[in-house]
Amino acid sequence: MFGIFKPRTFFNLANTSIFWLKIILAFALIVGLILALVFSPIDYLQKDTVRIMYVHVPSSWISLFIFLIIGISSFISLIFKVRVFSVYAKSLAPIGLVFSLISVVTGSLWGYPTWGTFWSWDGRLTSMFVLVLTYILYVYLWSFIKNYNLAEKITNIVGIVGLINIPIIKFSVAWWNTLHQPASITLTAAPTIHSSMLAPLLIMFFSFCILSLIIFLIRYKYEIINFRVNKK
Amino acid sequence: MILNFLNMSGYGLYIWLSYAFTALSLISLYYVSVKKLNSIKNIEHLYQSEKIEEVSVSAQATKF
Repeated sequence: MFGIFKPRTFFNLANTSIFWLKIILAFALIVGLILALVFSPIDYLQKDTVRIMYVHVPSSWISLFIFLIIGISSFISLIFKVRVFSVYAKSLAPIGLVFSLISVVTGSLWGYPTWGTFWSWDGRLTSMFVLVLTYILYVYLWSFIKNYNLAEKITNIVGIVGLINIPIIKFSVAWWNTLHQPASITLTAAPTIHSSMLAPLLIMFFSFCILSLIIFLIRYKYEIINFRVNKK
Repeated sequence: MILNFLNMSGYGLYIWLSYAFTALSLISLYYVSVKKLNSIKNIEHLYQSEKIEEVSVSAQATKF
């Protein structure tokens, strides 16, 4: 059932695709940054600070999506004993951690000129902070526990338990009164954001996805070789 | 015109700090990942060359 996820398949994919992914990334990033910083219109209330959205929102989406994959991979690894899924999760965790940090820091930098404060312990900001802590715990456990099997089991549990936080982050703006604005883009409704702002946002999101994929393939290669070397 | 662009209607500090932090974090993550992969590749080459040496030594031993 999990045959397509074999390390060899991903190894071949990594070797052949990284070069082309870098070219796509360069092109998308240049277009995205020009649209975001030059051509995108200013917001009538937030003025130019709205440009922070083009790095803040894609980073938040990716950090949430990566943790979702980590949680699902941890579940498959723990229940079906398919080791390669814990390697996927281990390779993805540092990427998710960096994107969640970017989300929190750029959110604070956006918050000060708009809300008048860098930080507030409201639903969205606190749950996002919990996500950063979960990522730190996950990455730390992998490097702290030397026994691979034990580290795998414990991190799998952290990955599954951490999944609880994902819907909390998503719906925090609906469940509680927060400083954070509600989502402008959802999967179920038409976006409430103008196309001149939506285009750079989606292009920046696409660029960050490609960059995440490149770094994931590099880290996955490292983890597989590391596993082989340690086995010897 | 360039100064106006950098100033971003007075919010330049927040905007450029956000973009700089994002760029720095992602570039660091990429380079750390590449460095780690290169270091482990060297170790694997060492293992492989040791293995080849072992094989050639054992082949010579069987010859004699």
